[in-house]
Amino acid sequence: MEKFLVVYPDLCTGCRQCELACSYHHEGVYSPSLSRIRLVKFEDRCLNVPVVCSYCEKPPCEALCPTGAMSTVPEGPYALVREDRCIGCKECVHACPLGAVQLHPGSGVAMRCDLCRGDPACVKVCAAGAIRYEPLDAAVREKRRARATSLNPL
Amino acid sequence: MREIAGDILYVDLSERRAWREPVPHEDILKFLGGRGLNAHLLWKLTGPDTDPLGPESPLVFGTGLLSGTEAPCSGRTTVTCRSPATGWYLKTSGGGHWGGELKFAGIGYLVIKGKADHPVYLWIDDGRVEFRDARPIWGADVRQTDLAIKKEVGDGDIQVAVIGPAGERLVKFAGIMFSVYNTAARGGAGAAMGAKNLKAVAVRGTGALRAAQPARFHQAAAVCRRALLADSGGEGLARYGTSGSVEAVNELRAWAAYNFQRSRLDDVYAVSGQCLAERGYLKRRVACLACVFGCHRYTELTRGEFAGCYTGGPELETVGALGSGCGVSDPEAIIKANELCNVLGMDTISCGSVIAWAMECYEKGLISARDLDGLDLRWGDGRAVIEMVRRIAYRQGFGDVLAEGVRAAARHVGGDSYRWAMEAKGLEQSRVDTRSAKAYALAFAVNPRGPDHLHTETFAEFGLSPEGRALIARITGDEKYANPYLAEKRAEIVRWHEDCYAVTDALGFCAFSSTALYGVTPARMAELFSAATGHEISEEEIMRAGRRIVTLEKCFNVRAGAVRADDSLPWRLMHERTPDRPDADAINAPEELSRMLDEYYSLHGWDPETSWPTSQTLESLDLGDVGRQLAAVGKLG
Repeated sequence: MEKFLVVYPDLCTGCRQCELACSYHHEGVYSPSLSRIRLVKFEDRCLNVPVVCSYCEKPPCEALCPTGAMSTVPEGPYALVREDRCIGCKECVHACPLGAVQLHPGSGVAMRCDLCRGDPACVKVCAAGAIRYEPLDAAVREKRRARATSLNPL
Repeated sequence: MREIAGDILYVDLSERRAWREPVPHEDILKFLGGRGLNAHLLWKLTGPDTDPLGPESPLVFGTGLLSGTEAPCSGRTTVTCRSPATGWYLKTSGGGHWGGELKFAGIGYLVIKGKADHPVYLWIDDGRVEFRDARPIWGADVRQTDLAIKKEVGDGDIQVAVIGPAGERLVKFAGIMFSVYNTAARGGAGAAMGAKNLKAVAVRGTGALRAAQPARFHQAAAVCRRALLADSGGEGLARYGTSGSVEAVNELRAWAAYNFQRSRLDDVYAVSGQCLAERGYLKRRVACLACVFGCHRYTELTRGEFAGCYTGGPELETVGALGSGCGVSDPEAIIKANELCNVLGMDTISCGSVIAWAMECYEKGLISARDLDGLDLRWGDGRAVIEMVRRIAYRQGFGDVLAEGVRAAARHVGGDSYRWAMEAKGLEQSRVDTRSAKAYALAFAVNPRGPDHLHTETFAEFGLSPEGRALIARITGDEKYANPYLAEKRAEIVRWHEDCYAVTDALGFCAFSSTALYGVTPARMAELFSAATGHEISEEEIMRAGRRIVTLEKCFNVRAGAVRADDSLPWRLMHERTPDRPDADAINAPEELSRMLDEYYSLHGWDPETSWPTSQTLESLDLGDVGRQLAAVGKLG
């Protein structure tokens, strides 16, 4: 079954281990700026929302890419940025409605979550269980139950 | 190594000048980072007569050596200066995310000197430093300031260290707030910042940190993460926060209530972390950078008198100080008082402590309602506590007296009020009743900043976890010493924890990773240091560096005039028992403390008469230059 990164912001404690794990996995360094998953913090309310590629069914970043650099490999599908083709035009950055695509500050090439090819590093370090790699129907099932539970007076 | 440690950014506010210097490698090997490097810098940049609130007094921020990496719970920042509250050495630390951001900007240490001619804030944008006008936000509370600066800079993701109205008014226990609700609270670092006309330090860091041996570091961090998550105390800490321990501490008769007149209350449920969670006040758990637990709390009040209140906390120390210490058991009033301390920028421990002292003065007739402008400051009145918090921060009426700290307030009021002023060295004691916790008693007495748990957290003596009991057995040879009522072996226990905690602070770790929970052992810290810097260090060497840091901090106080008599505890704890533990040994009797001090100085190689380190001891710790300076002023043991 196809799996996705599912984010549960209400569980997120804002520790940023996901960003550090992501930048380490992809770049060998610790740097939120190089992370494919980014945390948005509202510190006065202690609210933390991880933002990451949601693997759109019709990804505008791929549709608008003029060189075919934004692509997916079918096994996952996992995102693949063909760095030799990317010209750094930023169409994908602007096209993504979630803010989940950015340019690599060093190379100027597009950066997008590739699910670590099926073993996401961020999920492994998320002690709060706020980022999960799971089939969509499992996530929806849980949401259905949580919503129904909130209506149940018992 | 330069990348991991970060540079030193010097800022002279008088001259509006900023410059960067790398940290010499040998200093990192000697003092590790964070707290250790800060101690080294402060020693070099001050003398025995430096005025804590004078422009010449430096304010040093130091990130943990490993802050910004994936090492779990490594995001703490140490602030070091001469304490405006005590006049002695001050190391105070805070969590949150500010230190990591500074590190990503390539800076590990921020040394602030001078005084701006009008309120300013610093905007550090990676390599660029700007002095910005803070006059429009002078007077704003901590939350407003954080939001206003993010708006002005145009980036909501930056990190800001802020002082509130209390710091502006030089309240002696004003703190520096990181990430809005994380505080370097103790000893008045916020007043030191206010005295410089410095409202905030805003940072954006977009750089990267690379370990010298990345794979080895990654592996060592994963080992620590797994060990922490497997610790028996981890789940409770995550679920209930620090205040999850209130009931256990209360049962040990170590819960300081009614200004330390009681050491156990019949019912502490209402001030426990369990209550916060079960009654729905707790809305979210919050983590500092790279933390695996998230013990910090976020609470909101949606109903009742204080509806609309929202804040980080309350922590155990806060429910102890603003709650039980003042006889208050209404969790909503405590959360409201906590919110005020946070947004006005004050230490909840000292603030609660001075209010509890005033309540006792009021009860005993040393101060009257007239002195308090009509406020009926009775035990247990949460509203009166809230009003007093506000008056202290703004120095209104009697709040102005209390804003000077309890030692000065007791001098002001006079009579016997010093007997219930719960301070030593001029710092209000944190919320452990040390009559029922003898390692804490010794650690508090020798703490260079005053009686407080965050120099040497000896939680293991309580024997509350198998990991803690095993540690006591390793230090003393027998698990039976995991008993807080025993005075034996306390010096050994304190000595081990001092070294370990200094390393913990220097690398940026939290007490809840090494000395209250135990997954980040000295051996693992040595492994992480080695992998991060590429310089091999053993467990013994890193613990020796910890001792070097502890000793240098001691030397700072020695140079400033400290003698053995300064290593003391509040009068009440040394002379009065509580009805909750009438046992003969339930007191910090002067003779008992004196015996523990003898053992402690002897373990350190310090002169028992003066408490001063000897030249031999200093030489053996590669602190010979410090020894020569002390010799020059006749202060070698």
